[in-house]
Amino acid sequence: MTLTKSIHTQLQPFMQSRQNFYKILYSLFLDPTNEEILFEIGTLVNFGELEEFHEGGGILACFFAQLTTENYRLEIEEYHRLFVGPGYLAAPPWESFYRSKDHLLFDDCMLQIRDQYHQFGLKFIKENNEPDDHLLLELEFMIHLSDLCLQPSETDEILELISSQIHLHQEHLSIWIPNFCDRVIDHTKSQLYIGAAMLLKDFINYDLASLLEIREALANV
Amino acid sequence: MSENNHLKNLLNNKMQRRTFLKWSGAIGIPVIAGGIGTKMLVDHKEETKKAVAKDNEKIISTCSINNCGGRCVIKAHVKDGVVVRVSTDTQPGGDLSTPPLRACVRGRNYRSLLYHPDRLKFPMKRIGKRGEGKFERISWDEAIETIASKVKRIGDKYGPESRYVNYASGQSWGLHGGKSAARKLLALTGGYLNARNDYSSGAGNVATPYTYGTNNSGSSFDSLLHSKLIILWGQNPSEMIFSTPYREYLMQAKKNGTKIIVIDPRYTDTAIAFADEWIPILPTTDTALMDAMGYVIVTEKLHDQAFLDKYCIGFDGDHMPDGVAKEESLQNYLLGEKDGVPKTPEWAEQICGVSAAKIREIAREYANTKPAALIQGWAAQRQAYGEQFMRGGAQLACLTGNVGKLGGWAAGTGYWSRSDIVYPFSVENPVKASIPCFLWTTAVEKGTEMTATDGLVGTDKLTTNIKAIFNMAGNMLINQHADINKTRKLLEDESKVEFIVVSDLFMTPSAKYADILLPGTTFFERYDIGVPWCFGDYVVFGDKTIDPLYECRDEYDVFAEIAGKLGVKEKFTEGRSTLDLVKESVERTKKELDPNFPTFEEFRKQGVHHFKYDEPLVGFKDQIDDLEKNPFETPSGKIELFSKALWDMNQHEEIPAIAKYISSWEGPEDPLINEFPLQLISWHYKRRCHSTYDNQEWLEEAAKQEMWLNPNDADKRGIKNGDRVQVFNERGSLLIDVKVTPRITPGVAGIPQGAWYTPDKNGLDQRGSVNVLTSQRPTALAKANPQLTNLVEVKKA
Repeated sequence: MTLTKSIHTQLQPFMQSRQNFYKILYSLFLDPTNEEILFEIGTLVNFGELEEFHEGGGILACFFAQLTTENYRLEIEEYHRLFVGPGYLAAPPWESFYRSKDHLLFDDCMLQIRDQYHQFGLKFIKENNEPDDHLLLELEFMIHLSDLCLQPSETDEILELISSQIHLHQEHLSIWIPNFCDRVIDHTKSQLYIGAAMLLKDFINYDLASLLEIREALANV
Repeated sequence: MSENNHLKNLLNNKMQRRTFLKWSGAIGIPVIAGGIGTKMLVDHKEETKKAVAKDNEKIISTCSINNCGGRCVIKAHVKDGVVVRVSTDTQPGGDLSTPPLRACVRGRNYRSLLYHPDRLKFPMKRIGKRGEGKFERISWDEAIETIASKVKRIGDKYGPESRYVNYASGQSWGLHGGKSAARKLLALTGGYLNARNDYSSGAGNVATPYTYGTNNSGSSFDSLLHSKLIILWGQNPSEMIFSTPYREYLMQAKKNGTKIIVIDPRYTDTAIAFADEWIPILPTTDTALMDAMGYVIVTEKLHDQAFLDKYCIGFDGDHMPDGVAKEESLQNYLLGEKDGVPKTPEWAEQICGVSAAKIREIAREYANTKPAALIQGWAAQRQAYGEQFMRGGAQLACLTGNVGKLGGWAAGTGYWSRSDIVYPFSVENPVKASIPCFLWTTAVEKGTEMTATDGLVGTDKLTTNIKAIFNMAGNMLINQHADINKTRKLLEDESKVEFIVVSDLFMTPSAKYADILLPGTTFFERYDIGVPWCFGDYVVFGDKTIDPLYECRDEYDVFAEIAGKLGVKEKFTEGRSTLDLVKESVERTKKELDPNFPTFEEFRKQGVHHFKYDEPLVGFKDQIDDLEKNPFETPSGKIELFSKALWDMNQHEEIPAIAKYISSWEGPEDPLINEFPLQLISWHYKRRCHSTYDNQEWLEEAAKQEMWLNPNDADKRGIKNGDRVQVFNERGSLLIDVKVTPRITPGVAGIPQGAWYTPDKNGLDQRGSVNVLTSQRPTALAKANPQLTNLVEVKKA
């Protein structure tokens, strides 16, 4: 018991950190239309600290330092051009688009991730109305899984939950999100979305590597 | 314990060095206290049920109702609420009474249409200048409220004639759809300006009845199995599907040994598949060839004098209408006895490019081979004097006595129909004023100045110009209408049309001009019944396969809700859903039209119903068998080769009483040809249905958007196969890749119609949208679209 508690305690800061990071990424890719979401992120997150570590972080720091009501409007337009429509979407934010042979939505990989949601007792509120594999849904799912890790539990359970997150990475996030991010970077001039895409792409990569290492370490406990 | 240290070591040392953890550390914990806002993943407690359903793939039979001439069976394979693939009619061929209704390349693509990432997903309102393409997502409540208030405000301010539902064909061969829903709403709230005719056979629809009294001059396709000779004149059923099983009959006719001749400026897929002979011809000159064939037939006495004497008005001086001089007869015209120009093969050769020897040969062959079917396509009537082409074909059928006979064909527009269903959703417009649909831009610009000469009927004068347009599942708002640049300017002026509503699946060129843009449903997402064009003995069940995606909605439901805002919902729906409309149609068809029609459940299960007949339908058989009892629906009761009604219009140069070759503006004899030396035509491409599917990648792979040019014309301009060229005239300019091929007549360029207008910053179209180059000048009689009459020049881009 002591040992388990200790492992859980040891992992807590790491799990908390990465969950927070996912929340930041999630917020960066939320539709900025109806809320003051960007101002909120700009206030809460100190991107300045990121500048020295990451190019994307630097771009975002710069963006948030100059964010005004006026250029907020442009970011809304850009978000819609890239991810919502109407019309040709420069960077469709759905996994199926990147993984299906014909760049369609509602493809096999969407049914697979739906299965994963179901296995964890979850369901997309718009199942069969909108695709289940939107970037924000997959990030939300990752946040949910990391949240489960934060609740006190046995080492076996922690290990299983970490394995589930690795599975989510290997079967989904790490397969398509880098392509998605490249597409965003290639198709926009928005500092917000270039920075966010750079950050997302690298974070996904590092997160998977870290989870794999932790799983290995835990397996030896 | 040492292992636990391993973890500690990892977390404390190695991971801390990982930059992202540093970032997270730098950012601080917790960052966003409130979490991530609204959760989209919610509790799901139906595991077991789901698991059972999972492996069962359901096959649901459905049908598209776009403006293809055919209707094919689409089988949607549905698993867990998702269409995982589509297949088509698997019934074996061979029995021509129940021909398989198989999908072509376009039908095979339907899953890509359904799940395309660019589907319109939410209602939108325009926020930039009109046409700029800037929109903002709005709620359905806002969309409906806006439309309701504009419908009312514009109606109150300008009167009902200011409201217009544009000609559109994206949903045209079912029981309901955006166009009828919008019309119904407007009809119930004061009315709207009517439009008549179409962009397909517009000249023919008006011209053929002057000869036969009707456009139903065709015969059922099984009659072709009795033909000895078939001439397909400008008809290309291999790409432009007139009816799904049509080609099965042509194939069978060919097996029977029937000779098939194709007359066309292009060596089409139809010519490749079916023709024994291809006769290339210059566009706009078909009637010259017809006249010369008539000349040969008459001078060589190959004509059916008895038929002409008994059934026709106007062939010779002895059979002229009262009050018209004998000299005006068809025979006199062909022999050149009045105008001094005998319509000899040599005369025609100079105009149409077909050699005199060939003209004699086909004239003799057509007159001597009985029965022979001369079937006209509609390409050659989408020309400046398209009416003459349509009546000219009918004239040849009469000269040879091929009308009303099994295996013959009366030519003309050529509709035939003997199988019908009940359409329960109908509209009664209190406004009687009506314009030819091609002149809608005129009615926007100067509607109040239009008169009967412009085809205005139902009123002497319009009280207003068009001020509000509903463009439902259609691309005539700009892409498919002639002269895109002219139309664009008109639409951009927000003081002219004040309000435009568009409903569609994608951001088409027309959708860009919407003020309110609505996301429509595909046929997978609604109930309907699909019927073919006016040629076919089958109907196809359109089952709802999945619920509408995103916030897409059927126009029927949308307009019912708008009707609710305006207090007429009950009158609009009469309590019926679209499923109720389908059920009502089936029940009433069985009760009122055909007791052999299946029940709703039977029809749904079968997916298709074939109407069965003991013998072919032969156009005008009743009239030919007993003229006295069954007169033609013309003023004289006979076939009017000479129409007194046309004569009385007194515009004999452009609207002659008999079919005549009229030298065309922007034809090969127009002096403008010195400046723009190529005749430009377009055709219906196999990869699109008009402009539908232009954004579908699979189909672009199947057939790329490219212009055909003969090697002679390409060489003169230093153009090589695959080069990108600029095509231009005084109306506009576009860029397109070229296919250099002897499959097109020298002097002619061909661009497949329907590509989506894609201008760059300077307005230069990048996609090869042919209507950048076409003219809004209407045909003389029908006021129809002349979109295959253009002169252009081509140069390397």
